[in-house]
Amino acid sequence: MRTLPAKILLYVVVCAAIAGIAFSDRPFWIQLAIGITITAILALAWDILSRTGQVSLGMAAFFGLGAYTTAILDPITNTYLAWLGVIVVCGLFAAVLGLVTLRLRQMYFAIATLGFTLSLQVVVLVFPDFTGGAGGVAPPLLAGGDPAMQLLAIGGLLIVAMLVSDVLLRRRFRPAFFMIRTKPELAASCGVPVVRTRILAFIISGVFAGLAGACYGGLYGYVTPSDVYTVNWSIMPLAVAVLGGMDTTFGPILGAIILRLLEEVARELIGGVGYQVVYGAVIILFVVALPRGVTGALKALFGLSVRTPLGTRPAATGS
Amino acid sequence: MADVSLSTDSVVVAFGGLLALDGVSIAFPQGRITGLIGPNGSGKSTLVNAMCGQIRPASGTVRLGDEDITRVRPDLVVKRGVARTYQIPRVPPELTVEEIISVPMNYGASGRQAKVAFRHPRAVAEFCGLGPLTATECRNLSVTEMRRLEIARALACGPSVLLLDEVMAGLSHEDSVSVMGLVRELHEAGITIIIIEHLMRVITTLCHTVFVLNNGRVLAEGEPKVVLAVEAVREAYLGKGFRP
Repeated sequence: MRTLPAKILLYVVVCAAIAGIAFSDRPFWIQLAIGITITAILALAWDILSRTGQVSLGMAAFFGLGAYTTAILDPITNTYLAWLGVIVVCGLFAAVLGLVTLRLRQMYFAIATLGFTLSLQVVVLVFPDFTGGAGGVAPPLLAGGDPAMQLLAIGGLLIVAMLVSDVLLRRRFRPAFFMIRTKPELAASCGVPVVRTRILAFIISGVFAGLAGACYGGLYGYVTPSDVYTVNWSIMPLAVAVLGGMDTTFGPILGAIILRLLEEVARELIGGVGYQVVYGAVIILFVVALPRGVTGALKALFGLSVRTPLGTRPAATGS
Repeated sequence: MADVSLSTDSVVVAFGGLLALDGVSIAFPQGRITGLIGPNGSGKSTLVNAMCGQIRPASGTVRLGDEDITRVRPDLVVKRGVARTYQIPRVPPELTVEEIISVPMNYGASGRQAKVAFRHPRAVAEFCGLGPLTATECRNLSVTEMRRLEIARALACGPSVLLLDEVMAGLSHEDSVSVMGLVRELHEAGITIIIIEHLMRVITTLCHTVFVLNNGRVLAEGEPKVVLAVEAVREAYLGKGFRP
């Protein structure tokens, strides 16, 4: 998916799908598409951060922070400032947390991010006057509550997230990000400011997760802490990105479609609580069968080989 | 004596109770090839790390010319023209040779101090004998090619000082001769070169001066042939009473 025509095709397909479903007048498909789109934005946000080697289990923290920021700022300012506030608050939150935690490596960072989610949930419960406590808050209704318009708005945000993701996969950033992930000392020895670059990725990731959360809150204009500060919103982006294919823009989107459809099919066929077990089992099967994600498997299938076969390598200089 | 490029003054580095560097003072002359040798664990790599800002010494100073760079961040040391290679290069396996070289070209080179200026990663690859491999992913490179890539990556930083940490280890005789040719070319271009090496053949053929480290201290310094004949150096390396 590295060639330009393939990338443009991806944007065209995503735009067409979102517009097509939004104007289809089928409420079920519109709701499903909204769910897929929000999931895709979160997964892209997770993937952007993971390219610098940081596995976040704290997407829910930013997701919830976004929803709560619009809810708290909307009554005291206006809707535009409330949305702008999401970018500022989530960006600042990421920058501060980044300064504190991004020196932690791998698992330690993952555990620390899990901690953000839990502590933000507690903060909401401890200051009920300000945050509505367990009763929840009322973020501004997105697009006047019309689902078709909501899908278009969230779809627009997805396109922006895709563009940012693709910019970060371009020449200047991609090799530097991957080098930070593989060996930060080596990246520093190439002149890459490692901590600053990680914080940049964390801010971008946090802002998109926050905007996705504000969109989610705006669907019905009502959220409770148990809607947003759940481990589900933290684990799912990870599962989606790994399933779809990491380090790509296409992977998280494909993963979101597969996972959400799978969830619906399992719910339809099995129902009750049992569907979650089947749904979980299928995810495990996918990950075991396709360790490089669906994108990696597709690339291998169509000869856009991820791994150059040893025999086809050009001969080394015989010096 | 030529002008001094990198120098250390009484640098002490401690890991827990162990003194890895115990007051090392070395001045590396500008425009020369200087060797840094010593038995395993003598502190060679620690010294390189300290000079590149990757380890903060407990005391002492590191200077580049007249500037104190002891507490300068590693990525900013690179921008001042000091580049290094790694003994065991761990590069992202999914990136191509060209992509690896592009990182220091985008981030490292300020261009001011560069002795050999390249306009494109492919030119660096060409210069280091990796011309046909620019589009090859690093996971498919041989040991020799990885070593050349490490030199190419460091060279793409646009250095005035280049620290080569065991770039010849594990290479065949033929390959090490060709890498030595490359080092000589870099020297002729005006880059100050510091070589850490176990292969004495490399030290004696390439280096103008050599420093011997042992237990975190400078044991001897001087011309390679002279230094290697010193009894204390032979002892540190080969054990007491060894006669080749």
